[in-house]
Amino acid sequence: MFSQVADFLDNIFPPHANPWRHLGGLAFLCLLLSCLSGIIAYTMYDTSVQGAYESGLRLQNDPMRLGPLLRGLHRYAADAAVLLVLLHLIRETVQFHFLGARWFSWLTGLGLPGLLLISGLTGLWLLWDERALYSVTATAQWLQALPLGSELLARNFLSTQALNDRFFSLIMFIHIGVPLLLLGGTWVHVQRISMARFYPPRSLIWGSLGMLVALALAFPAESLNPADTSFNAAQLSLDWFFMFIHPLAQALSDQTVWLMVSGVGLALAMLPLLTKFMRTAVSQPAQVHLAHCNGCGRCAADCPFTAVMMTQRSDASPHKFQAWVNPNLCTACGICVGACPSSTPFRRIEDIVSGIDMPDLTVAMLRNQLKHELAALTGLHQIVLFSCRQAANLSCFADHSTAVIPLHCAAMLPPSFIDYALRLGAAGVILAGCKEGACEFRLGDQWVRQRMAGLREPQLRARVPRERLRVLWPGRDHLVIQKAAADLRRSANLTALQTPHD
Amino acid sequence: MPKPLPKYLQFVLQTMAYAAFATVLGVFSVWPSYQQRGVNEAILKLSFSHSGQLKFACRQRDAAELAKTAVHMRNKMDCPRERSQVLVELDMDGQALFRISTAPLGLNRDGAATVYRRLAIPAGPHLFSARLADGPDGVIHFSSDHKVDLKPGQVLIIDFLTGSNGFVFTGG
Repeated sequence: MFSQVADFLDNIFPPHANPWRHLGGLAFLCLLLSCLSGIIAYTMYDTSVQGAYESGLRLQNDPMRLGPLLRGLHRYAADAAVLLVLLHLIRETVQFHFLGARWFSWLTGLGLPGLLLISGLTGLWLLWDERALYSVTATAQWLQALPLGSELLARNFLSTQALNDRFFSLIMFIHIGVPLLLLGGTWVHVQRISMARFYPPRSLIWGSLGMLVALALAFPAESLNPADTSFNAAQLSLDWFFMFIHPLAQALSDQTVWLMVSGVGLALAMLPLLTKFMRTAVSQPAQVHLAHCNGCGRCAADCPFTAVMMTQRSDASPHKFQAWVNPNLCTACGICVGACPSSTPFRRIEDIVSGIDMPDLTVAMLRNQLKHELAALTGLHQIVLFSCRQAANLSCFADHSTAVIPLHCAAMLPPSFIDYALRLGAAGVILAGCKEGACEFRLGDQWVRQRMAGLREPQLRARVPRERLRVLWPGRDHLVIQKAAADLRRSANLTALQTPHD
Repeated sequence: MPKPLPKYLQFVLQTMAYAAFATVLGVFSVWPSYQQRGVNEAILKLSFSHSGQLKFACRQRDAAELAKTAVHMRNKMDCPRERSQVLVELDMDGQALFRISTAPLGLNRDGAATVYRRLAIPAGPHLFSARLADGPDGVIHFSSDHKVDLKPGQVLIIDFLTGSNGFVFTGG
């Protein structure tokens, strides 16, 4: 279902700016917008029992409409952040992005929604209206349900006399401090991935900003009646993005909600343990062969998970550095193999060994497979299809004139293999991967495009006829590959007809 | 490859996608309203923080006992810090609403006993009877009756303040 959502949005947005693939970046953007608008709002906030509610009203009733804009932007950006974080969590879960090397990002991300909820709830309390009083009392009751014995917390909100100005200073301190923790937590969350995209593409930034501004002006975020400890309104309009937990606790009991929250949290935190049972031959980490590594560092530069590092040389080689793979971080995507200059099939030795290689699908295996598959083809206008395993189901493409070579990732293929396949007699080559911007290993499509365009080493040589190559991002869309193959065959046929025979 | 949509159509659909997301944000930031009590209900809050009496009386240590303790700790009187549980009972119109026995806070059980309960009750005239026992014998030492006509939404707070010599009904 989720891939259908992504596919649907692909029709509307440019593939590189599909919001479904930038949920984390969009959530961070909303968090940042909420922080920035909050800093401005803070300068106009009065941290006193009487002044708290008035501060909200002052902004709300600003005749220039800048106040409602600021309040609305602050509130709706925070709401959007909750929704986007939730979607991000769901998407990462269904894509099994908690396995293997991704455990660190997974675990460090799990605490962030909690911090976000604390930030939002404390922000709503600062307005000190009916909703704030309800929420702060319900939260106090919920905290009292912990087996600590004390039922003192909710007493603070029994009467206005029980409150003093320090309460709002304390809440403001939390409301500023927790988002700072959230920003720090986000930084830790992306520490083990290289070239993390903190922000979505520019078009999405402008689109989101426009949407939030329009929403803030069309439906201003307004305070309810001032908090009154002597009267309890029958109905309250709640901000469900943050306050969903209160009605839930009232319906099920505070203890049940504690059990649910801790149970779900624990279950999510345990998910990376499934790695033990789900590790397959495919997921064996990359191996460095020192004798063939010249320490160029391309593998380290291209690794999407910082699993490859350059260290001081440990052998007698004159090169200064050598690659080192941290098996705990390696996702076995093979992108490093595609980056290695020694991964070329043109080398004359029988069993080629790359400086960095995948144990289950070495460069030598890849070359042998290509040779055998091509030799076994009997049809006209033979085509080689190199395709990412994460993308289309490859078996349906194999026929008497199509050789199918599966890869861990499209970027695992050293560009020289395309040249090699054409030299072996293929009429055309198709390199297919996940949808654009949806690479299972984050950066594969980006590196392939840059390598093919000659912007990144190793480049596809200029002599390779580009009309005999199709680089596609079809995801699971078979039709795209079939059409590209037909197109290649048609042009090969045309070329054959135009070539004079002896 | 599917033919890409015309630019203008993409723009329209993108605007609709943003509008749909904004609608979700706008709607669920205020709707649906939450019914936190019935229309004809008032709210009762029973809450207090009270230190019960000491559980054990002071006693004189005998000479043998004093000899066993360190020189600097030889107090002739032994006064255990532990306090008694506090029992509170609240009736409304002769019907029991709460009967809560609560232990003192602290590792040595020498702190205050705290209670917080919230309950929605029918609005209208009611007679509340509150009783509290805070000694080791469990005997009711404080009791109070209070008549009140509660309006819908009104919050009645029942506190216990030793300084005020017992139960305090606020908001009624």
